[in-house]
Amino acid sequence: MKALDLGLRAQAAAIAAGDVDPVELLEAALARIEALNPTLNAVVETFPERSREMLAGAPAGPLHGVPVVIKDEWPLPWRAQRFGAAELMTPTAAGESGPYRALRDAGAIVAGVGNMHELGAGSTGNLSYYGPCHNPWDTERCPGGSSSGPGAAVAARLVAGAVGADGVGSVRFPAAYCGLTGLKPTFGRSAMEGHHMAPVTTTIVSGPLCADAADCRLLGSVLFGEELATGDAAGLRIGVVRDVVSEDVAPEVGAACEAAIEALRGEISGEVREVSLPDLELSAVAAILTINGESLVHATPGGVNRMSSELSPIARGTLKYRMLLPAVATVQAARLRTAMRRRLAELHERVDVLAWPTVPAPAPLLQEPLVELPSGTLTADQANVRGAGLANLTGVPAISVPVGLSSEGLPIGLQLQAAWGRDELLLDAAEALERANGRRWVEARPPLAEAEPAEA
Amino acid sequence: MEGAAADDFIPAGLASMGIEADEVDLAVMNAVHSFFWPPILELLELDLGEVAPERFPDPSRAPR
Repeated sequence: MKALDLGLRAQAAAIAAGDVDPVELLEAALARIEALNPTLNAVVETFPERSREMLAGAPAGPLHGVPVVIKDEWPLPWRAQRFGAAELMTPTAAGESGPYRALRDAGAIVAGVGNMHELGAGSTGNLSYYGPCHNPWDTERCPGGSSSGPGAAVAARLVAGAVGADGVGSVRFPAAYCGLTGLKPTFGRSAMEGHHMAPVTTTIVSGPLCADAADCRLLGSVLFGEELATGDAAGLRIGVVRDVVSEDVAPEVGAACEAAIEALRGEISGEVREVSLPDLELSAVAAILTINGESLVHATPGGVNRMSSELSPIARGTLKYRMLLPAVATVQAARLRTAMRRRLAELHERVDVLAWPTVPAPAPLLQEPLVELPSGTLTADQANVRGAGLANLTGVPAISVPVGLSSEGLPIGLQLQAAWGRDELLLDAAEALERANGRRWVEARPPLAEAEPAEA
Repeated sequence: MEGAAADDFIPAGLASMGIEADEVDLAVMNAVHSFFWPPILELLELDLGEVAPERFPDPSRAPR
């Protein structure tokens, strides 16, 4: 196996042992990006000389010499973030963001900037200033958003790890659509400095996207600035909610997630309990209203009227609509936030994790991102946020773990959610699930990555 | 609760805010309104009167 096809921790270990030359690894990553990116549009910018300079000065950290991709959501010293858009309401500038600094200090090499859904406002990745990003499992399909490029880049093995951001599911959606493990940390635990919304957000976090949970643990430790210690998930109490998030899903998604929950229970000699969580579905609209209010901090009617004509019609119209949402709805969202935080605190005295499908259907077509569910046809955005918003609204951590492939060969993801600060437990549970299914799904590779170009 | 029709809500809102919108903007706004407004109405109908929002919510930890 070529070094570029190894996972994140294997690449780091091979470099540390002297078995892999990090110069060759970086050049292989840049070459593979050049070869596959015309098909994927996962990486919107590379800067080989900057990457080589990073490598030349890289400290002997836990990711020494390992190339990674960072989402177009944080500034780099030589590049301001664009947030996947022609223009932002909030000013941005090049600089040392928290995630960049964490990566650099760990010895990682930023090989490129990952594409993202325009303004972070979509779960599909089909809309971006840079053009749509494509899913390596089927390039006619959505890779998931808004961290579309980080997801597609890792799934296609352009790099072994990427940094995304999750405001309403934006790490977990691409993880589910691309067959990866993606961690949405507890609010405030991972590096956010330099993000244009960092001073005001109460929902957005940076998070790792990798092939498996141990790689997420390694990259997560770097982003957290503390070691995410390995523990024991034995005896885990798994809560399942019989609600729209687990019932109104494509049958094969439901079946794969049910089987995974049972496999996890067996692996850790745990127990599965049905629990009730009222108003779960409405937590999504509450999360959207919350992030909406925070993201409009620099928006004014005059500013909206002067927006760049290069902004997509969907982004422009949606932004204007968001300006009209009534304050009473945002206040009610704040009330529901309090209620859901209290309900979760009480619920987590009885269960350790909550489990339901990350998304209710596999990746939809880029040209028409609709999903067929038992309740009917919905836009992917409408359907996806239902199970994702709760973690952002309340601040708790959540992880998406690959648990199967659909009849069309598309990945299926299971979400596990835990109480505040129990990110490590989610990683332990995800590793137990990997053991339970023989690591079959974390080692599955899309056809595009199997047919690797000769250079890498 | 009666839902706000997009024909009323959007033009009135735009006019009150002084936001300009062309036909394409209005088409997008109507589409967004059609799937975003119903859950907002559902949210507003929730009886959460007893729940006072946390004064300084700290989403990094459980509520106090």
